[in-house]
Amino acid sequence: MPGRVRSDPLKNPERPYLAIGLEGSANKFGAGVIKHFVDGTTAVLSNIRHTYITPPGEGFQPRHTALHHREWALQIIQECLVKAGVSMHDLDCICYTKGPGMGAPLQSVALVARTLSLLYNKPLVGVNHCVGHIEMGREVTGAQNPVVLYVSGGNTQVIAYSRQCYRIFGEALDIAVGNCLDRFARVINLSNDPAPGYNIEQEAKKGKRLLPIPYVTKGMDVSFSGILTAVEALTTDKRFRPDGQPKNANDEDIITPADLCFSLQETVFAMLVEITERAMAHIGSKEVLIVGGVGANERLQEMMGVMAEERGGKVFAMDERFCIDNGIMIAQAGLLSFRMGFETPISKSTCTQRFRTDQVHVSWRA
Amino acid sequence: MASPSLALISASTLISQGAEAHRFRKGYRHPTLDASLTRSRVAGEARALLRCLRSGVNVPGVRMVDASEGILGIEQVESDALEEYEIPVDVLMQLIGQEIAKMHLADVIHGDLTTSNMMLRHPSSFKSHHPTLRTELVLIDFGLSFYSSLIEDKAVDLYVLERAFSSTHPDSEPLFASILKAYGQGMGKDWAAIERRLDDVRLRGRKRSMVG
Repeated sequence: MPGRVRSDPLKNPERPYLAIGLEGSANKFGAGVIKHFVDGTTAVLSNIRHTYITPPGEGFQPRHTALHHREWALQIIQECLVKAGVSMHDLDCICYTKGPGMGAPLQSVALVARTLSLLYNKPLVGVNHCVGHIEMGREVTGAQNPVVLYVSGGNTQVIAYSRQCYRIFGEALDIAVGNCLDRFARVINLSNDPAPGYNIEQEAKKGKRLLPIPYVTKGMDVSFSGILTAVEALTTDKRFRPDGQPKNANDEDIITPADLCFSLQETVFAMLVEITERAMAHIGSKEVLIVGGVGANERLQEMMGVMAEERGGKVFAMDERFCIDNGIMIAQAGLLSFRMGFETPISKSTCTQRFRTDQVHVSWRA
Repeated sequence: MASPSLALISASTLISQGAEAHRFRKGYRHPTLDASLTRSRVAGEARALLRCLRSGVNVPGVRMVDASEGILGIEQVESDALEEYEIPVDVLMQLIGQEIAKMHLADVIHGDLTTSNMMLRHPSSFKSHHPTLRTELVLIDFGLSFYSSLIEDKAVDLYVLERAFSSTHPDSEPLFASILKAYGQGMGKDWAAIERRLDDVRLRGRKRSMVG
């Protein structure tokens, strides 16, 4: 509400706090240690991640991903503690991703968190993955009350904060934007290393031709599944050259994989920027924060920057360390709620595939 | 040489910038994509405004259209801060519901219904025919509007407003309920089907709880 300023319910801590965050809702296992100081500042002591990479043309299956997390969890946590220079005994709480995400990987990580909690007698804090992204974004960029565009392989949401809740303004009605990009990368056999979205971005830089692809906004929401079908269909077009090379000197009217990546990016990002702009106009906010794996895409950041500039505003974006799923964001959001007195008892330390951003009570903000 | 419409725009002063300001060009979009979206949206907005005007929905009058340049000239609606009007909240909600119903009866879907896209006309700028009410509610910004008689589209239109309400207005539920009441009265026999569909639309979106 304009004209009314409420004080932050979160006071500076009376002593420094330390928390470890464990994340594994998709194909990355991450661990990170965060420290909150008495003056209200925050330090990232360590932030380590290992990604499960599948061969080109294949996605990650829940079972294999869970296996990956189980194989790497202890080693990553160990490295993360050594790098931070702390021991498990120094921690105030253990934060883990409660959801949303893939079931089996979430369960593996929750099990690790539960075991550590019992071994070292530390309280557990279950964290909403999306809120983790938002809180880390606010912390890293210093954005105060931005409109948040959260774009990743599993989520696409435009979020605005209001009265202790991150409210979803617009979202994907079917598949997430990252899923659309990743799946298209598989169709044209791009590598999954370091990430399919990253390789689409590099490929798109070589694209020249904008092909007509559906532009699907519905109300405040967007839809990507039809776009994926449309761009997949273009790979069976007789002008399509999988190697990107013309057959002969007269072969001019061709479609290359780079053109398709370019067209796909331009279209879906324009849709995302458009719904973000509408949320900003409605709320009267001049700040926009991009979080989530797709947020590491520089073309999306650039387009958002142009839009923000046209409105006299500012875009806050991050690099892959904090954009792509990581442990430190879970530690940050978890520690904020822990300092407000929130704990997850062992008997309730479950995880869930469905856990909406707007279901979380954001007790630490005014 | 710049077109006459562009020259007119560059000689004017900016009043305020909405998400769909009346220069539709967006620098972030690829020029080809932008040109096709701009053309269709300017034409669409002009068409929707005219259709609304013919059906007696309160919207700004159209003054000029230049779709290829992406420029739409419309009447400036004189208005003031909400407090100046001394309208009770329930009357205001009723006005909103009535106006949306009129628009939907004309089969115009707004596409971006938010409270930012509504204005109250200033009493000094026109003559009210209403015995007690000195103002009228004007719907603006039809840049994302389209023509449809489907209950699906009308329900989604209402849903957009509901979400915009809940994200910016505290304790929005009773307010939105009174909008729907007035809307329902305005829509008459069509309302029952739209109400049912609105319930369905509310359940969409990813990761909704599957319980209940």
